[in-house]
Amino acid sequence: MYKSTNLDLFSYPFQTIKEGTNYRYSNDLRKLEKGQQDCVVITPEYKKQIIRKRELLKEQPDVRFQSYPHTMEMQWEVAEMLITMAVERYPEHFQVEKNGNHWTFHNFILNETESFILGDASSIELEPLDLIGRHFATDFVLMVHRDDNLYLEVAQESYAALFSPHWNKGMSFDEIHGPVPFVSRTGVPLAERVRNFLLRNVLPGEPWTRINWNLMANRWDVNYETLDTWGPTRSLVTPENAGKLVRLRVEEQFFYRMPRSNAILFVLNTQFLPMEDLALRPAWLEQTYSILSDIPKPMADYKGFTPFIEPTVEYLKNLVEKVKLQTN
Amino acid sequence: MVYNSPVLFDQSETIVESFTVRQDRRKLLIISAVSKDTDIIKPFIYDINGLKEYELIEMNDELQFENISEILDRQKMGTQLYISAKWDDAGKIFTAAIEAGFSEDEIQTHISGEKRRYVYCLKCYHLQEVEAEETDTICHHCQISLEIGPFFSRERKGYIGYPYNPAFVPTT
Repeated sequence: MYKSTNLDLFSYPFQTIKEGTNYRYSNDLRKLEKGQQDCVVITPEYKKQIIRKRELLKEQPDVRFQSYPHTMEMQWEVAEMLITMAVERYPEHFQVEKNGNHWTFHNFILNETESFILGDASSIELEPLDLIGRHFATDFVLMVHRDDNLYLEVAQESYAALFSPHWNKGMSFDEIHGPVPFVSRTGVPLAERVRNFLLRNVLPGEPWTRINWNLMANRWDVNYETLDTWGPTRSLVTPENAGKLVRLRVEEQFFYRMPRSNAILFVLNTQFLPMEDLALRPAWLEQTYSILSDIPKPMADYKGFTPFIEPTVEYLKNLVEKVKLQTN
Repeated sequence: MVYNSPVLFDQSETIVESFTVRQDRRKLLIISAVSKDTDIIKPFIYDINGLKEYELIEMNDELQFENISEILDRQKMGTQLYISAKWDDAGKIFTAAIEAGFSEDEIQTHISGEKRRYVYCLKCYHLQEVEAEETDTICHHCQISLEIGPFFSRERKGYIGYPYNPAFVPTT
């Protein structure tokens, strides 16, 4: 288990919510500004996350990575994009040597080198996105545009929140979001609205982002496959231990239209902050307390934190008072 | 078949209680693999009543099943397919039709007898048949308790089976 230690890099999810108002579902997608379209971020937790990600991929390959055989070309396209982003943003950490299609990618943080022939899957032991994805702490989902919908054709993930590459393989955007219970004011299901928005607005060179959040009890990833294990731990939370056991789970999502395949790449950067660490930013603490104490039950049910929301709110209430006493 | 091709499952849109005439189609192709006593074909043909060109194929042996793809392949655009069969036979004919290029909207399927329903264990990825009304079950392969959810995967050919620990089910 790891947590975010550099809070300047933590994507606090309620930043854009006005003071005094509370969180409700909406289409909160935001276009990324030119010059800030990169999804590669190196945090102090980078090494820890990569080690854990690779362990999970090694132990449960069928759970953590899924693809169709026809996706090689589009996987190469993504691999090329990720390498380019990494090298441009962090030249001190990553480097690439190109000799025609013969590429050598250096990762100086891990002291590793990957050599391959770009576009030739036989030159590597893993699939292209599985190989290059193991150098980045984010999860990757490649959704292909067919029949006015998006279909999951490749996914590598290690921090699932009620999602599974194995189960969701081949599903449309609507099927994956089948469990989302919300409809818009005009009666259109939220998932359908977001899907149409992505299809129309995520264009080559115009990536978008949004922040998704949840609460997790004592758990790194809550996938379907381990529901029997983590399900019961949700009832262990008390107002005394919530500070350590409950984490704000933030998923910073990036959406890129791949120019050659026309697929949309979803990049998911998952970060965790234990409730007790909210005290390091009193404004975040107060706002999170306010939002969680007013969360509608259907939303808590959907997000899966109903079993421990009460003790968590109780803990935050006490923490808010404690922090106020210390600052007065 | 591609991964997002329709498959026959108990809630498929293709499944109907009785056939309806599609006026927008040029030809109606009826494939029946059930005995005449249980057949819903006769009243349907009465409904068509010369309004449309139709072809009736009655299948009663294995040999005809082997030739079904050939029959479906030679159909022209604008053909509406009607399948009347027991579950397993309906599955074979439906799959052959999809392979021949029919869309689900171009097929109506009437099932004689029980429909089959499957659950996919998310613990061990085993697929097994369950009763129509079952809401939870035990995985035959890994013995875990499974809650049967409402979501179906065409790729895995079953409903989602959430693994749970029966010792920790909230009493509410």
